[in-house]
Amino acid sequence: MKKDTGKALSLSVWTDMGFLPLCTSFVENSALAFGLDANGATALTLAVEEIFSYLCRISGPDRGVTIRSSSRRYYNLVEISCPVHDFDMRLFNLTARVSAEDEASLEQMGLLIASRFVDRLNVTQGPDKGILLSLVKEKSYPKADQSITIQQKELSRFSLSRPQPELIKIITIAVNSLYPPSMFPKAFRYPGKVVDMVEGGEYEAIAATGPDGSVGGALFWRWVSDKTVECFGPYIFGQTRGSAIAEGLLEACIGAIAKSPALGLVSLLPTEELPREHFEDLGTLTLFDEKGGGTRLTAYFRQMHEDPGAYSWCHTELESFLRSQYARLAMPREIIFVKDQGETKNPFSVLSVDIERSANKATIRPVRSGNDMEKNLVGHLDLLRNESIRNLFFVMDLGIPWQTEFTHSLLQSGFSPRVVVPYGGEGDQVIFQLGA
Amino acid sequence: MTMHAPPLDRLVPEYIKRFEPYIPSKPDDELKKLYGCTRLSRLNNNENPLGPPPAARDVIDGFPPPAASVYPSGDAYYLRYKLAEKFGLHPDQFLVGNGANEVITFVIKAFCQEGDNIITADKTFAVYEWVAEFSGFEARLVPLKDFGYDDAGMLQAVDERTKIIFVCNPNNPTGTYWSRERLLRFLDAVDGRQIVVLDEAYFEFVEKEDFPNGMALIESYPNLVVFRTFSKMYALAGLRIGYLAGSKEVVDVIRRTCVVYSVNSLAQQAALAALEDGEHVNRTRQLVREGREYLERELRRMGLFFVSGEGNYMMLKLPMSDTLAYRKLMARGVMIRSMTGFRFPNWIRITISYMEAMNAFIEALEAILSEMKSRGA
Repeated sequence: MKKDTGKALSLSVWTDMGFLPLCTSFVENSALAFGLDANGATALTLAVEEIFSYLCRISGPDRGVTIRSSSRRYYNLVEISCPVHDFDMRLFNLTARVSAEDEASLEQMGLLIASRFVDRLNVTQGPDKGILLSLVKEKSYPKADQSITIQQKELSRFSLSRPQPELIKIITIAVNSLYPPSMFPKAFRYPGKVVDMVEGGEYEAIAATGPDGSVGGALFWRWVSDKTVECFGPYIFGQTRGSAIAEGLLEACIGAIAKSPALGLVSLLPTEELPREHFEDLGTLTLFDEKGGGTRLTAYFRQMHEDPGAYSWCHTELESFLRSQYARLAMPREIIFVKDQGETKNPFSVLSVDIERSANKATIRPVRSGNDMEKNLVGHLDLLRNESIRNLFFVMDLGIPWQTEFTHSLLQSGFSPRVVVPYGGEGDQVIFQLGA
Repeated sequence: MTMHAPPLDRLVPEYIKRFEPYIPSKPDDELKKLYGCTRLSRLNNNENPLGPPPAARDVIDGFPPPAASVYPSGDAYYLRYKLAEKFGLHPDQFLVGNGANEVITFVIKAFCQEGDNIITADKTFAVYEWVAEFSGFEARLVPLKDFGYDDAGMLQAVDERTKIIFVCNPNNPTGTYWSRERLLRFLDAVDGRQIVVLDEAYFEFVEKEDFPNGMALIESYPNLVVFRTFSKMYALAGLRIGYLAGSKEVVDVIRRTCVVYSVNSLAQQAALAALEDGEHVNRTRQLVREGREYLERELRRMGLFFVSGEGNYMMLKLPMSDTLAYRKLMARGVMIRSMTGFRFPNWIRITISYMEAMNAFIEALEAILSEMKSRGA
């Protein structure tokens, strides 16, 4: 689980542009003090400047705003919360404008501009039904020096243990030189970053070493939600095919999370050595690169508990996909249809977007359904396309009935359902992908 | 007026925040509905398919409804006297609980305080570890060696804050056991410095001559606490009743944490009657012997690796995820225990039961394995 380094600072002000210099100075200086370089601190400051100005414009005067700046070892996190009860929920939308009549260009959208300065921007509902914006700016690290080679040696005996920082760096360098980039996260290009991620609890790692300390393989994993863990590897160095190391590493990972809240273990970047017999094939997602080339990723999944059965809410247009997936996976599910019975709906829908520029990827999640679902979705897609974000996903939680109301709009907009992740949210999640 | 939600972040201790609650299976009828099966062979909980011994059945059949309005004996008075007579100990050397799970809690509460630890194996009955962890104590887990408890490893893990060492004999789920000689060597090495709990939940199933009887060792080792249950051999799992035995001094300490009146009257009376019946044990052992022989033969034929020791269960390794196998077997009306939660991924544990259920299991297993092969998985 992620560990805060304990270094955090807070500033509470009001939505008054007079406080802007104080806010930007606070963010810049705290980022520098937490170890971000000057360029990173400036970028973060510019993002906060945009967001604070945006909040001042949209929320009316003298609303409380709290800015929290914290260090998470490999990145700085700035969280901006505006806990107001009568907040117009539409303003969550990335496409929200200052006013409905405002014909200003897309450049006027504060949240979007802010997203360009940071590595990740996430907008969610915060305390007291207010807004919570999370901005992540990562530190800079040197790339793995691929001229360094690891001594590969067959291990007749090995033991498993959590690797120390120096060993993590050696492992990361070996992963870079022995495996294609499609088999490890982008972060692994930077050994120092991986060390910080492990030390900060973002990743966990296990390594197989021989009696003389030589390393035969490693596996990493991280929590991607409250109930799901993703593993990377196993990465095996210098062992003959069929070595017990790969299964040993995976079993150590499973043992570590066996009695945790994890309901599922997924592998989205599997290596050849991943013991497939421990997993189920959930389906495939395609990741497009900048040049338009696509890599198909099979989503491997392992359930961590006996399945007690569950209900899944479903729109009729998703039924055949869902039934075929549940039959294929032998998932005990009762499908309950969500039907429009003419009840009054919200006029406006709300979407949250998680933008990961480093992965050229955006994940959209519904916050509220409404009569403008299709228009709102199309607006978001136009905007993300203009930002040249190629990989667009929509995650629907089948444990939350109203989320299924987006089904028709998604299908109309070119999304297709690709993967069901059992218990990925309050219920199962369906991952839709655009144009894949 | 709507009250604010309680400040759980402040109210809940860190060790509870980390802890994952155990979610029991849904009732059989619900599971059948969800998995679309018409019958269900329960091979997941090591229940005795013969049901309670006849004398206990008579007690259950004849239990007068008005007796339900009267509190039970708060400390299972008659049952303790009967146990004392059976094992040649004093009634005060016994404590009866609402299943063995409750007596595990009594012992941990009695001896552990902040900063203490308990020692057990990494792949064993989970409740020792659970109770310790959700009570805020460290559970030191020593890896099994060749599927059995590692005595040397456990002794090495002991430090000045170790209060209890839990040994499940025979081990659930592997069925391995410590012989009398090995247990005595271990107890001698501990030398009375810690409480040693010997969980003998499956004692009555074991026929091996070198298998130790913990009850007979209490006099020589006053730090020894023995657990037994009426849930397995005596098939009273639905009534929840188990007990512990130890030296008077140790039991007197444990009694201070004991919840009185937690064992209902029907359970106490049925347990008392169950102890009278000798033939039930022999009939059950016979059923387990035949079932085990059949399963071992069939699993060998199918080329599957298994571990078959003592107790009314055995474990086998599958060439697929155990949790997937659970779902596929459930859809065919067979309920097994997946072993990921025991840190044995891709293993399942099967209760040895009637031949009809054993046949159903083998048939279903063959079907899912052949389906897997035909899909090229």
